[in-house]
This record gives sequence, C-alpha cells and structure tokens, in this order.
Amino acid sequence: MALSPLDSPKPVPVAAKTLPAKAKALTILNASTSSPSTASTPSSDGAQDLSEKLNEQVRRKYVTGSKLGEGTYAIVYSGHIRNDPTSLVAIKKLKVNKDYPDGLAPDAFREVRALQELSHPNIIKLYAVFSTRDQNLNIVLEHLPRGDLESLMQDKKVSYGPADVKAWTNMLAKAVWFCHENSILHRDIKGNNLLIAADGEVKLADFGLARTFSDPYRPMTYNVITRFYRPPELLYGARHYGGAVDVWSMACVVAELILRHFFLPSNTDIEQIDAITDVFGSCTEDVWPGVSRLDHYIPPAKGNIKRPKPMIYWKQQFGMLGDEGIEFLKTMFVLDPRKRATARQVLNHPYWKSNPKPTPKELLPRAGGGVEKMAEDLKRRGGEIEEKDGRADKVARKLNFADLKR
Amino acid sequence: MRLTEDEIYRSSTQFRLWSFTPGPLASLRATTNSTATQRVKAAVKRLRESRTQSETNSEAENGTSTPVNFNREPDCLTTEEEMKVVEAFCERAIKLGEFLKFPSNVTATGVQYIRRFYLFNSPMTYEPKSIMISALFLANKIEDNKMECSDYANSIPGTTKEQVLAPEFLITQALRFTFDIRHPFRGLQGGHMEMLAIAQGKAAVLPYVERTAGELQQEMLKLPILPGGVATKMSQHQVENRLLAATDKAKHTLRSSAIQSDAYFLYTPSQIWLAAYLLADEVLALFYLSTKFPSTIDAETPTGIAKLKVVATVRACASVLAPDPALQKLSNAERDAMVKQEVNAVKAILVKLRHCQDPDKMDLVKLNKAQKRDAGAEGKLEESVAKRRKLEREKNEKEADEFWGPELPKNGKKA
Repeated sequence: MALSPLDSPKPVPVAAKTLPAKAKALTILNASTSSPSTASTPSSDGAQDLSEKLNEQVRRKYVTGSKLGEGTYAIVYSGHIRNDPTSLVAIKKLKVNKDYPDGLAPDAFREVRALQELSHPNIIKLYAVFSTRDQNLNIVLEHLPRGDLESLMQDKKVSYGPADVKAWTNMLAKAVWFCHENSILHRDIKGNNLLIAADGEVKLADFGLARTFSDPYRPMTYNVITRFYRPPELLYGARHYGGAVDVWSMACVVAELILRHFFLPSNTDIEQIDAITDVFGSCTEDVWPGVSRLDHYIPPAKGNIKRPKPMIYWKQQFGMLGDEGIEFLKTMFVLDPRKRATARQVLNHPYWKSNPKPTPKELLPRAGGGVEKMAEDLKRRGGEIEEKDGRADKVARKLNFADLKR
Repeated sequence: MRLTEDEIYRSSTQFRLWSFTPGPLASLRATTNSTATQRVKAAVKRLRESRTQSETNSEAENGTSTPVNFNREPDCLTTEEEMKVVEAFCERAIKLGEFLKFPSNVTATGVQYIRRFYLFNSPMTYEPKSIMISALFLANKIEDNKMECSDYANSIPGTTKEQVLAPEFLITQALRFTFDIRHPFRGLQGGHMEMLAIAQGKAAVLPYVERTAGELQQEMLKLPILPGGVATKMSQHQVENRLLAATDKAKHTLRSSAIQSDAYFLYTPSQIWLAAYLLADEVLALFYLSTKFPSTIDAETPTGIAKLKVVATVRACASVLAPDPALQKLSNAERDAMVKQEVNAVKAILVKLRHCQDPDKMDLVKLNKAQKRDAGAEGKLEESVAKRRKLEREKNEKEADEFWGPELPKNGKKA
C-alpha cells in the first residue's frame, strides 16, 4: 500500500528496457501471469481476514500486463494502475527459491524491507506489495524504461561529456546519501543497478543485499558487492564496516562513466586486490592502520610494495573531470575506509560548485535505438543478466587459500 | 545535507502504517474480534449441520476428540481476553528468545510481529503458539541473525520445521509486507553516551542552550536523587555509576514492558527510551531533556509549549511502560498471589480459546500445503513452459560460464 502512485511516471509503453534488468537473480517455476480479477483466495465461508482484504484491495489496484523478462529470482511484468492505463508500473513477481529451504528467501525480504522505508527521487519507488494465490510476492515498482548506466557507458553510439557525468554522479551520490541517512547499506552499487527513468532521472535499484547498519560489535558478512565494485576491506574479510563500502562502489561507477569501460576488472578476488593495489598502492599499516588485523589480509611481499599511481595517471585517465573532479574522485577511493569520504562529505565537495554545471536531467544523453532496438535489447539482456548478475556472482566467492600459499 | 530524525521517522512504515492513537487502535481490535467471532460461529454451525447429517446416516459417533462442542454456540473470546492471550504469548516469545540467546533486537522484532499480526487477526482464528514460533523465526531472518530453520525447530520441543514455516506467509501478509521495526535500543545507547559526555564535561552543547559544557557538568553533579529532593554533591565517578545503573534499568524496561505493551503503536522510539529512562531515573531524564532546550524559556512561547508537550508525552508513555502502581503498593506475598491469579486467569482463557478455535484454520501446515497444492496444479498446466524455461536457463548458464572463459562466447545466439 506504501505510496500513492499518483506521481507515477508516464513513459512510452513499449520502452520497457530497464525492468528486465530487474528480472535478475531469483529462482524458477510458476510463471502463471496472475490475472488480478480471478486472484481472490477462496475461503470456505466467504469471510476473509482483514489482512486478506487489504491484500485484495492492493492487488485489484494493478493490472499485470506482458512479461518483460525473467531471471533466476523473479519474473518482471509490465503493468498499470487499473483505472489509469497510462500510469505504468513494473511488477516483479518473486519466484520460490528452491535453493533456500527455510521459507521465503531473505533477499526478497531485504529488498522489500529497505524499499518500503525509502522514498527518494533517486531511489526506485516501491508502490505496493501484494501476494497472489500461489503465495508469491509481487512487488510493484516504478517503471524505468531507459536502460541503465552500465549500458549507457558501454554504448559507443552515445557521446557524453563532463557535465553529464556530473549530473549522473550527483543523482547517484544523493541516492547513496539518502540510504545512509536512513541507516541502510545498499551493498551492491554498480552500473546496471542504476536505472534511468523516462525523464532521465537515475534511480538506484536492487536492494536484494541491503541491510540496516549493524549494531556495534555485531558482525556482518563480507560476502557482498559485485567483485569489480568491492572495496578492499571486504576483500580482506572485514566483518565490521559502514557506509564507506558503498562509497567505494560509487567511485567505481563514476570512474567507469569516464573511462567507458570497467575500471577494476578481475576474475578472482585475489586478482581484484591486485587490480586495486596496482592503482592505489599496496595496503600497508602505513597507509591503513589496522589493515593487517583483517582476517584475509595478505601482506605484500618484501621489496614488492606497490606505490600509488602518480597524478599524471589520473590526469591522463580522468582528465575529463578536471582537477577538482579528480580530487573528488580520489576522496572516495581512499584505501582506508575510515579516511574515505562519507556520503555526506561527498555531497559537500566543492566539485559540485565548480564548472561545468551538471546537465539538467531532461537534456542528458540517452541510449540510442528506437522501439525495435529496445525490444531486441530486452531479449538479449536476459542472457547477459544471467552472466553478470546471476546468483552465482552475487554470492561472492571466498578467497581461495590454496592459491594464497602458492 | 542532513535529515532530521523526525523526518526519517515520519517516512518509516512504522509511523505511516503502524502508529495509532488509542481510539482507532481499540476499534481495529474490536473489528478483528467481531470478524473472527462471526467466522468461528459460522464454521461451527456448518460443521454441526454436516455432523447431524452424518449422525442420521450412521447413528454412532458420540464422543469425539474435537475440542469444539458443536451442540451449542461457541463461547468466543472478548477483545480483552484476546489481548491477554497475545500478551501471554509475547512473554513466551521473550523467554524463548532469552533461552536461544537471540540478540535483543531480534526478540523485540519478533514480539512486535506477533503484536502487529494480532491487530488484524484473532487468536481464535490463528492459534498463537504457531504464530509466535514462526514470527520469531521470521525476525531472525529479517534482522540478519543467522539461524537455520531446522536448528531452530529442533530447539523447541514438539516443533517441526514445517510448523515453523507454515504460517510465515500468513504473517508477512498480516504485516502488510512491512518488516522494518524501529527500536529504541540504539537511542538509549546514544543518550547514555551523551549523558556520559556531560558528566565528563565534554558535552557537545547545542548552540541555543546558553550553557557551557563545564556548567552542564556542574549541574549534573549536583542533581538530587529523587525529584524535588535536596541537591547532592557527587563525584564524576559517582555520576558515571548512576548513569550506568539508570541505563541498565531502562534497558530492562525496553526489553520487557516496552515490547509487551502498546508503546510501539502509540509512541516513537525516542519517546519510548526517554520514558524508560524516566522510570529508571526521573531526575536524570528530565535534566537530559532540559539540555535540549534553552535554559530560560517562557512557558508561553512556542519553545516553552513544545518543551511541556515533550515532557507530557514522555510521561504518558512512561505510564504505559510502568508496572501497575497498585501492584507496587502490595506486599510481596500479596503480589505473588496477584501474579498467580493472573497466571490462572490466562490459563482459563487458553482453555476457553481451545473451545472457540476456528475449526477451518486449526492445522496451519495442512492449510499451507493445500494452498501450495492449488498453485501447484496451476503450475503443472504449464509444464511445457517450465521445461522450455529450464532449457533456456541452462543455456544461459552455459553462456555465462563461457563469458570470461577461454572460449569465445557464442554471441548473438540469444538475440
């Protein structure tokens, strides 16, 4: 029932590229497109629980339309509000996770829990949740038809400049800041979780790994965040961390927007540490007091301590940002999470006030291609998503100790 | 860029969907009670009719094991009795949480789930023990406390994993798919640290308070023990001990009466922890509140009115959390007798409950299976679809494996 859908966007109906991106990561079976009118739970005496009635009301409010995509974890349908066919929504129907034997899967709960609490222009809106007869959760989400930042970054036909990057970065920074103000860690920030609305607004999505800040002394898992975007403290197995992990991921996204390819790609966790230290220098007690106490810390071999890349590297690679922009990016890329900028500090950085001014969202470049291209993208995306966002990748691999000894 | 705590709390589902004034809260419970009563009566009537039919068919069948007496109208629980039952099971949930050494926020979340569940459902419809056990497990899941369901079920005698999971969906639906519970624990901890800083003369004083950290410290050292008492002259160490004692006491209140009462429905987390602190050490609590306002304020000004309102609200919340004052006046023996009486009363209600349990909803495991079977039948119709999907998925997986592998990906196949 969460929010009034009155302010829902009215994008082009077929331009449903984004949400298949949401069709990621869940399980199988049961693809029955529930027609809402027939969905009432039959009750022997006709009487319903109050909560059943409430659920029914919500379900009746939406019409489920065509299927947009399917992942291991959910099926995504387009839909609209029953008495307003122009107000589009995406309906994400969660599948029963066969790998998780203990009832409804925790990632579904994480996502619903976080999104129910967060209402911000740069975070995907959750309009409602309802259940269908087969006890599947249906999450009614904002319809975001313009793809994601990753595909934009990779689409060579689209050209964009520093003002555009500043606009996107700003929207991302606001989303991260808002999560952290609400004591929520996203723990999976990356380009293809940043979806673009019809009006060009960037929205942070996929809260399947999100959680609230832990109480002091209560450990958390370090097995989060897609590897390319994972900060060094998690790679070293830190179990106590805060918003800094999301800030690192955010910095990776900004760097990718400039470079137009993945900034720190790797095949294994070990390689990921190498990729990071190649650019930022070795993690030693000098630059990061306490790092050697982390469980999976590997000290650099003697005489092989890497030095951070010199300023000239940054100017060559990230010159587009300007001096202030480079300084800004580097505050987010500090190895020691305690010295890394917080989301709040990120928003207070002078970078935002320097020239160029961020492009207004209506004027931001968009991914090319018409409706046909869009539909084609949609079909292909299903496979791509499986590759990069499937469960297998999300449940990040642990460090391989056999490799370490060699 | 900074949001105030008020802004954050006002956007929470706890505030938007689960906060009430006493009137609507009571009427919601009354509606739930009357719906359930009607349902039980209708179900019993139906059963009775089918029973008389089968009795005419086969004359026999006298004594049955069914607890519901079909020969007369079932004697249903009143709203007050329902609340007593729910409270009794919340208490059991707290004990179970203690026994299994759950972190306090897990137990507290579980207890709130039970309370929220029974705003929309009656114990007559859904048997409270199963709901209690399932809700507590759900709380573990939500609060990221690692717990295998089978381990959990094994640690509760006579409970199977199936029984733990069967009502899960019912509960999520009754919770209206909102799972976030805002607890007062962290607020209490923060307040404690703030007060400790005052005691050490290191307080970060608000700009409009017009007192220095040192002045606040001196004031705190002189605070009387009881309201209206004589000023003391404590050492910093003594005050620190006083703070620790008060926080411990407040913590206990937050873990017990705060989650067992309607406090979460009626008040905000900060009001609740301040109320618990007020019950633990009234002088300190009021002093702490005073450090948030200018030292000299006219009661007529908006700030003055706001201060009075805050104190009044905290006191009202404290009265919800406080043990019954009548109980406190009694001697130990009398109190024990009263507690015993209360326990017996609950027992009697539970007996009564057994006779008015909705026969349709008795077996939640079966009910859940039936629902899944329904859905399963639907699924089977689409077997071909499922198979095609499986093939597709396998292909995708294969392609995914190849993505970074040595072989070139067979691109374009899917598109």
